[in-house]
Amino acid sequence: MGMPYERVTMKGQPLRILMVTPGLDGHWRGKVTVSQALRDAGMEVVYGGNMAPREIAEAAVQEDVDIIGLSILSAAHLRLVELTLHALEGKGIKDIPVVVGGTIPEEDIPMLKEMGIIEVFRPGTPLRDITSFFQSRFARRAAP
Amino acid sequence: MERTFCSGSGIEIKEVYAPEDLREFDHARDLGMPGAPPLTRGIHKNMYRGRPWSIRRYSGFGTPEETNKLYKTELEMGQTGLSIAVDHPTSCGLDSDNPKAIAEVGVAGVSVDSLLDMEIMFEGIPLEKVATAIISGPFPSAPLTAMYFLMAEKQGIDIKRLRGTSYNDVMGVGGYLWRPDQIAPRHQLRIIVDCIEWCSEVAPNWHPVNFDSYNYREQGINAVQELGMLLANAIGYIEEEKRRGRIPLDNFIRSFSFNMGAHNDFFEEIAKLRAGRRMWYAIARDRYGTEDPRCWQFRLHVQSSGCTHTTQEPYNNLIRIAYQVLSAVLGGAQSVHGNAYDEGLCLPTEESMLLSIRTQQLLQHETNVINTVDPLGGSYYIESLTNEIEKRAWEYMKEIERAGGIVSAIETGWIQSEFKKAMLEHERRVNSAEVAVVGVNLFKLPREPYKVPIFRPDLKAPEVQVERLERVRRERDTARVTQALRDLRQATLDGENVMPGVMEAVKAYATLGEICDTWREAQGIWECPMRG
Repeated sequence: MGMPYERVTMKGQPLRILMVTPGLDGHWRGKVTVSQALRDAGMEVVYGGNMAPREIAEAAVQEDVDIIGLSILSAAHLRLVELTLHALEGKGIKDIPVVVGGTIPEEDIPMLKEMGIIEVFRPGTPLRDITSFFQSRFARRAAP
Repeated sequence: MERTFCSGSGIEIKEVYAPEDLREFDHARDLGMPGAPPLTRGIHKNMYRGRPWSIRRYSGFGTPEETNKLYKTELEMGQTGLSIAVDHPTSCGLDSDNPKAIAEVGVAGVSVDSLLDMEIMFEGIPLEKVATAIISGPFPSAPLTAMYFLMAEKQGIDIKRLRGTSYNDVMGVGGYLWRPDQIAPRHQLRIIVDCIEWCSEVAPNWHPVNFDSYNYREQGINAVQELGMLLANAIGYIEEEKRRGRIPLDNFIRSFSFNMGAHNDFFEEIAKLRAGRRMWYAIARDRYGTEDPRCWQFRLHVQSSGCTHTTQEPYNNLIRIAYQVLSAVLGGAQSVHGNAYDEGLCLPTEESMLLSIRTQQLLQHETNVINTVDPLGGSYYIESLTNEIEKRAWEYMKEIERAGGIVSAIETGWIQSEFKKAMLEHERRVNSAEVAVVGVNLFKLPREPYKVPIFRPDLKAPEVQVERLERVRRERDTARVTQALRDLRQATLDGENVMPGVMEAVKAYATLGEICDTWREAQGIWECPMRG
């Protein structure tokens, strides 16, 4: 795979990530721990809590984020990802990569990737694997 | 340096325990006999010899029709209690046709929009033989309870004879879990306490509140914090009723029930349940002076801890669950839920569901652990640990008191920050392997060795529910609904008990969303201080 998101490295700023759960599922432990790990690794996290797909698209633009992290534990991941990607498309957002974390059965990962999800992190993933994925895949910021 | 051994909550554990560890231990004062004060050894004299614990799973999914079928299967497997696990929209008090509900109707629980759904869900279920737990966030708890009662009445069963539990735990309003469109915790507590007062008259065998520290624990806190928060929460309810003075405290407290988690530290979990019983006795009897022995009973449902399960090597969870269930039983629980091993992957399959029931049946019928009451009572270690947990939990309760009590602590964000600290610390310890997770950070294999079946819910619930809602709205007496909701609003504003109004609205087939909207309009939507 190539590095289609080089634009991120050109900004000269830390990576900015919107961390959010689409829909009503109030589980927050995964979002909170991953957010903290990303911050500890020098990234900026906009903690979105829970949002409707439309609100996610709006927040992504407003907050000028580089990446969207969706946390989903409700078993409705396929539908929620579909709705969220659709909402992003509706806002004309094509170049913000989306990653997913949560209770996702392994066999659903190819499906999610086909839909356009860049990576899926399941429970038990070491936090350093997540932070280093962000750092290597999207590269560290270039000095301004 | 010598290695130190610590319990899950950080209590340093000695190499061996001996009589000198219990030098100040007074058998009559601290232990007593089962069924007798201070109830440390169990709330009943003969415990499981008289009646085994109820085997109850957290269940419900999809449409009320599908859940009805599931209940029948569970009863056939020999389960003795039912639970209504509702979906996220229902738990938030939103109807299935609310735009916010779009992807989650019937997904992680069953959708309940109106009395009609409850009627369908319990068709052909022998209500007099089962105790049902209605598991939801606190906001819809009163209307869901009303739906269950009215459904039973329609089946010709006297409400006074119904057995079961409503959750009604105020911590579920943004304390441990974020939920949208909620009224403030103090307003919810008011509705909850109304429901408890009303049930004490109308449904004396019902438990209108279940303090649910299982869910607090799942946020990463330890056994001591879990117990402290749980008891501090119950105290907040009692203080509210004391302030009101509407019914005798004996009538108010006697129906309380509790739901704790069973985590990995085997002996600490047992000691926690024992300490909880002794502390509750001190609270109900000594602090509030109740005289009805039912008030002193720390009635416990225990659930194996979902957050200890792993997505990797999911069959390992079967073993974890079995140990946790055993700790609940040795700790004297009245009702137990063993998780399904696959909950870190999907909703339980029929096979994983059966295994969780079998785990408990094996314990009840093959291991003879039920033969004697509190088999670990008197152990130097268990009694020392019980004492230590009690001491630390009282201390933690003082901290909660300093934060203004549970309701204030939720509204100010104190509780949420306790959870946040705990979850980050736990994650740090797992990532540094200070806490072992077999198959994940210890003895990890390069490849997943097990292939487990994944349950795929049939997602027809949204269509079915939206269609049924439309039909309910079309066929009901609109004028009666409007009047009922208007009266409910007035009762809410006037500070009267809201339950008669809720019953009338439910009877008129007002929807759950409409009832909760009435409260939202009357009391405003609360901004939850849950921050990441």
